[in-house]
Amino acid sequence: MRSLLNFLARYNNLIIFLILEGIAVYLLATGNTYHNSRFVNGIRGVTRGIEEKINNTRTYLSLRDINDALAGQNVALKNKMETMVKKENPLFFSYTDTIYKQQYLHSSAEVINNAVNRQKNYFTIDKGSLQGIQVDMAVVSDNSVAGKIVGCSENYSVAMSLLNLDFKLSVRIKTNGTFGSLSWDGRNYRQAILGEIPQHIIVNVGDTIETTGYSAIFPEGIMVGTVSDFEKTGGDFYKISILLKTDFRKLHYVDIIGNMKKTEQLDLEKLFK
Amino acid sequence: MINSIFRFGLIFILLILSQVLLFSNIQFSGYINPYVYVMFILLLPIEIPSWLLLILSFALGLIMDFFSGSPGMHSSASLLAGFVRPYVLRLVSPRDGYEPNSEPSMITYGLRWFLVYTLLIVLVHHTALFYLEVFRFTDFFRTLLRVILSSFFTIVFIILIEFYRRGK
Repeated sequence: MRSLLNFLARYNNLIIFLILEGIAVYLLATGNTYHNSRFVNGIRGVTRGIEEKINNTRTYLSLRDINDALAGQNVALKNKMETMVKKENPLFFSYTDTIYKQQYLHSSAEVINNAVNRQKNYFTIDKGSLQGIQVDMAVVSDNSVAGKIVGCSENYSVAMSLLNLDFKLSVRIKTNGTFGSLSWDGRNYRQAILGEIPQHIIVNVGDTIETTGYSAIFPEGIMVGTVSDFEKTGGDFYKISILLKTDFRKLHYVDIIGNMKKTEQLDLEKLFK
Repeated sequence: MINSIFRFGLIFILLILSQVLLFSNIQFSGYINPYVYVMFILLLPIEIPSWLLLILSFALGLIMDFFSGSPGMHSSASLLAGFVRPYVLRLVSPRDGYEPNSEPSMITYGLRWFLVYTLLIVLVHHTALFYLEVFRFTDFFRTLLRVILSSFFTIVFIILIEFYRRGK
């Protein structure tokens, strides 16, 4: 007994260290994506006040930019409406019809917490399950990809940013339709890497990269960015750098897009796997 | 006693606030993320009981985790920093030992001593933190570069804050 007490007294630092480190590692291990978002949401209560203050200041400082962007968007939308109404394009019918064929639901939200300087970045938006947000919905900022929802609480949701090592996106080159896989390499918050494009395809600097819609999360044809640089590596594929259209440091207002036919597509695909 | 609890509480809050409001928003090219809050562990009195040191550094990391939404990352890194601090202090101890009731500051022990002491602890902390963040060993050297660059800037900021404290 005495030797046990001696042992405890001698190594009490080590024991405290190991216990606390165990707690930390436990948090770390269970803190992956989904748990992480739940953890963040649960703890929001503690830090919400400060974060909202920071965010308010930031939003205020960039009001001019936001105004410009909104004005630009307004003009673009008006133009689009004009051409659509004039043409009476039958495609338009299927896209806005609310009863028969609507596939995508749109909703807008504000980003209240954001990070770009980690390897696995997440951001938080101010809408949650009560407002109809669900896991695996697409997050789009000014018609370019921003991320996807990974967790919801009642009034907040956490989205995995495109700037996350775990984020993979199916995209294609707009000019020739070749599809590949987009990921972030953790270096520069303005650039991502496009892989799996074979070397016989002609690629030019400035080519537009857009989503394919294969994943059933993002609708087809949402812009991701443009080719800024490419090189032929030793293998069969190009290594292409993409300049992202979204500036993640200025992410304020985003659109959430839900695919109403996602489960149908996934259920069907499951049969053949 | 009460006085010093109050003082360190204030330092604790100030460092966390400056980290969250200022240093976490610094970013040059994704390689440099200074984590200056670790300075709190550096500043605690030399004769602090080590269990208290461990608990304080764990609490510090946990609060940083709340702010950055990364459960366990900062806690385990700064706990490790708190754990190695007594050993670092023993390793770099001046020839005549430490003065009783003193704090490990630049004012008392000089710039060179403080620099070595800061360098060791910041390196331990940043190495743990960045490798835990990436959690894989591919890109080993790129993470190492991030560790070195970020540690450099953290140390520069800490030394600047120390000079400011001395100037007062």
